[in-house]
Amino acid sequence: MSLVEDPKGYWTDLTVAEKGVSGAVVGFALLLVFSLVTGGLAPTYFLYLVGLAGMYALLSLGLNSQWGFSGLINFSVAAFFGIGAYGTALASASSSPLPYDLAPVVGLLAALVLAALLALFIGIPTLRLRADYLAIASIGLAEVVRLIVLNQDNWTNGSEGVRGIPGFFDGWPVLGTLPETMPTLVFGSGPGATVLNTPFWQALLNVGLVLALVGVSYLVLRRAHRSPWGRVLRTIRSDEDLARALGKNTYSFKMQSFVLGSLIMALAGVFYAHLNLYVSPGDLDPITTFYVWVAVILGGSGSNRGALFGGVVIVAIREGTRFLNGFEFIPFAAAPLRLLLIGVIIVLLMRFRPQGVLPPQRELIWPKTVDEAPEQLDSGVRETKAGER
Amino acid sequence: MSEQTQRTAATMNKDDVVLRVDELVKTFGALVATDEATFEVERGTITGLIGPNGAGKSTLFNLISGFYEADDGRVSVNGTDVTGLEPYEIADHGLIRTFQTPRKVEGMTVREAMLVGPREQPGESFLKLFTSPGTVGAAESKNMDDVNRILEEFEIDHLATQPATKISGGQMKLVELARAMLAEPEILLLDEPAAGVNPTLRNKLAEQIRRLNEEGTTFLLIEHDMEFVMSLADPVIVLDQGSVLMEGRPDEVQSDTRVIDAYLGG
Repeated sequence: MSLVEDPKGYWTDLTVAEKGVSGAVVGFALLLVFSLVTGGLAPTYFLYLVGLAGMYALLSLGLNSQWGFSGLINFSVAAFFGIGAYGTALASASSSPLPYDLAPVVGLLAALVLAALLALFIGIPTLRLRADYLAIASIGLAEVVRLIVLNQDNWTNGSEGVRGIPGFFDGWPVLGTLPETMPTLVFGSGPGATVLNTPFWQALLNVGLVLALVGVSYLVLRRAHRSPWGRVLRTIRSDEDLARALGKNTYSFKMQSFVLGSLIMALAGVFYAHLNLYVSPGDLDPITTFYVWVAVILGGSGSNRGALFGGVVIVAIREGTRFLNGFEFIPFAAAPLRLLLIGVIIVLLMRFRPQGVLPPQRELIWPKTVDEAPEQLDSGVRETKAGER
Repeated sequence: MSEQTQRTAATMNKDDVVLRVDELVKTFGALVATDEATFEVERGTITGLIGPNGAGKSTLFNLISGFYEADDGRVSVNGTDVTGLEPYEIADHGLIRTFQTPRKVEGMTVREAMLVGPREQPGESFLKLFTSPGTVGAAESKNMDDVNRILEEFEIDHLATQPATKISGGQMKLVELARAMLAEPEILLLDEPAAGVNPTLRNKLAEQIRRLNEEGTTFLLIEHDMEFVMSLADPVIVLDQGSVLMEGRPDEVQSDTRVIDAYLGG
């Protein structure tokens, strides 16, 4: 059922959860448009937030392909994120203690290689063991990586962080100079006028980059999730012994899922470094790991769309609560309560919808394999239990 | 008489041996769970493996299928030594097992859960998903056809799109057997296939096992339900305290005083 050909049929074919999420997304988008038009939200800052949301979406997709697909408990999301950010920063920044000054694309590759090596380093000893061992080891790994970054001054600049990171497209033929060459547009007049200048175009370029990264990651994961490969991972998540008894090399599958997720997390780090143009050891704080876990659980473990949704919601909560201080009628500073708010959301979620907002809604079978049996099409794993009609 | 035949009460030197267990030993601390167990399973048979609680049947299954590592002894499938291999490697040699309690796969429909069965699917390679999606799709369609066919043969095709966790325990046993068949085993190890299954489904299960056996699959099954195993299996191997007590036709086993003593704890 295509949205373009038959919008009404498409809508009725959606599950309750899908309708709810679609409605919420549209409502939120309208709110954003309203804020932008009325000047409550500066366009450049808005684009920065979109970039941040994309970054969290990437991190959530990465964790989803580990925890959601295979049930791997990875508490070192921040470490892989940090490896990505520091990898590209050290390779390309002008203040980097390493004497390379490479192009950001090379930095991207370096970051991915580093992340893959780190994933293998932690995966090889732990993935043969019970699931808990990876969890324990990854908590330690995250701290070890953070402390190395903090203390190995001669490699990482230590607590000073790395400055002078170029934009991702610096040095590219057209995109490299695009923000400067674009004209400055002014809407409205006076002090309330909206000015679209170089920083705006720069931010727009960054948003383009993150959308491309999220889009590609999402498409890759969606295909993988619906494939026999993904099915083995889901079997491992439910019952690893069953997968082993059926002749699946579960160690290899878990390793692939772990490395894949780590690479996507590192991508988020790479993007962050070129968005923020500055990285510091504080970026590796475990709170990032916590946020990403909340995003994946909120969205629905095992669901790629859920991970996207969760990532965006987390940024909306994290950044949206900053505006709460602006409301005079709240008699206390509300913004610092955001962690409490997230905690409350998680408790409510676990109580009333433990599977998350948007868990996988349909059977995950390779496309076109079951299409020739239309009478079974709408009887996957749905809200209305299949077969009870 | 060779040395081996003197050490075991099982019938050795069978014609066409598909599984051979040789003086297998497994201890858990001071407990000797498997004590030089030795027997052979002949191709084309349904071999029963019985014994009182604690005789070491499940341990033996875990040793054979590679889930436990043996302290001593050898397991060979089709003449190939598989001792110490990983379960998936042993599966590659044609030995598949099921579990005593049905394993649930959450978030899948029955047919999805069935699709895990076929071995060496091209779609299980991450790279091939992107380099040759056509091959993956073709294999998936073929496997889907196999799933539908086998579900029909097992007369559970009406369950195909039900959530795999929402069907009854007996139906799960049938699904598990059906899925194991998709892995095309030469020898299938069934751990208490009839446990917790109502009499109607139990008869159906026995029928299916007999049918699959006639089509060429060798079975080795642990079972506590004597009626079930005696009507189905020939020969029957009796295990007691980790080693083979005797082997024989069902009627021989049932009238053997040593077997009766073992079961009564004598």
